[in-house]
Amino acid sequence: MSAPARSQLQELGLSATCAEVLHHLWDYLDEQITPEGAERLRAHIASCPQCRGYEEFQECFLTAVASLRQELGAPESLRERLAERLKGQGCGCWEKVRRKQ
Amino acid sequence: MSHSAGTFAGESGMTADDSRGDRSAADVARDAAFERDALPWLDDVYRFALSLTREESDADDVVQETFLRAYRSWHTFIPGTDCRRWLFTICRNVFLRSRERQRPTVDLEDGEQDAVAAGSVFAAAREKGYDDIFARLDLAPALQEALDDLAEPFRSAVILVDVEDLSYESAAEVMGVPIGTVRSRLFRGRRLLQEKLVTVAEDLGFQGAGAR
Repeated sequence: MSAPARSQLQELGLSATCAEVLHHLWDYLDEQITPEGAERLRAHIASCPQCRGYEEFQECFLTAVASLRQELGAPESLRERLAERLKGQGCGCWEKVRRKQ
Repeated sequence: MSHSAGTFAGESGMTADDSRGDRSAADVARDAAFERDALPWLDDVYRFALSLTREESDADDVVQETFLRAYRSWHTFIPGTDCRRWLFTICRNVFLRSRERQRPTVDLEDGEQDAVAAGSVFAAAREKGYDDIFARLDLAPALQEALDDLAEPFRSAVILVDVEDLSYESAAEVMGVPIGTVRSRLFRGRRLLQEKLVTVAEDLGFQGAGAR
């Protein structure tokens, strides 16, 4: 661990195990760590109220970000223009662009 | 031995006259594959383009160019691979070129630093009783605004992984960077968003349930 990171952890008053959660929680939530590592974090989080609060905070944050994925579709005007341009390229399925898939 | 038009046309077996008239079997197969694999992602590409350009008219231009390039380069798409990822890659490149910029180089902090800094954001939020703001407050408008304000490399990482649900590996391919760089940009982007949202909550006078 780098010196600045260690210093920040001390400022936050975290134990070494909590520090591991702090370092790797996003990797854990993103399923980017080994199953053994994930199990170790899971076990610690289950027994540590502070880390559980941190996990809930991050989970809620990621859920809020994911909710930004609106059911926003390509406008009809865009579909029309794209269809015409594909037609100009000799694309045989240009008419399908007009119809929402 | 001289090359006939048919020989020169190669695998497609298409002659110059065919290109203006009847469509070859290869053309028909290509168009069917394009319709099946690429067109269903039009809405997704539009959404991604809009998140990059933040202007509907610019997004329209980027999407049109993306699909025209995809159609012209369809022979480079590997069947069975992730077509959405391929289209996102083209889309982002079109966007970057439209801005006449080089791929941005970012002074990246260590991903570890951002992960730890996010802990500081949480600690500050907790101190103010804001540790449940994401659960209790509808921050969608503020979150969208904060996301729009992020510098492009961080915005792309957050959009691809957290909004569009791409894996780190797919996002790395779209962005043309190593997976470690995606991780760094993603962590930085998340941390910056959280900092802004805590500030927004404060400005709104949000009363934390557990203010201490």
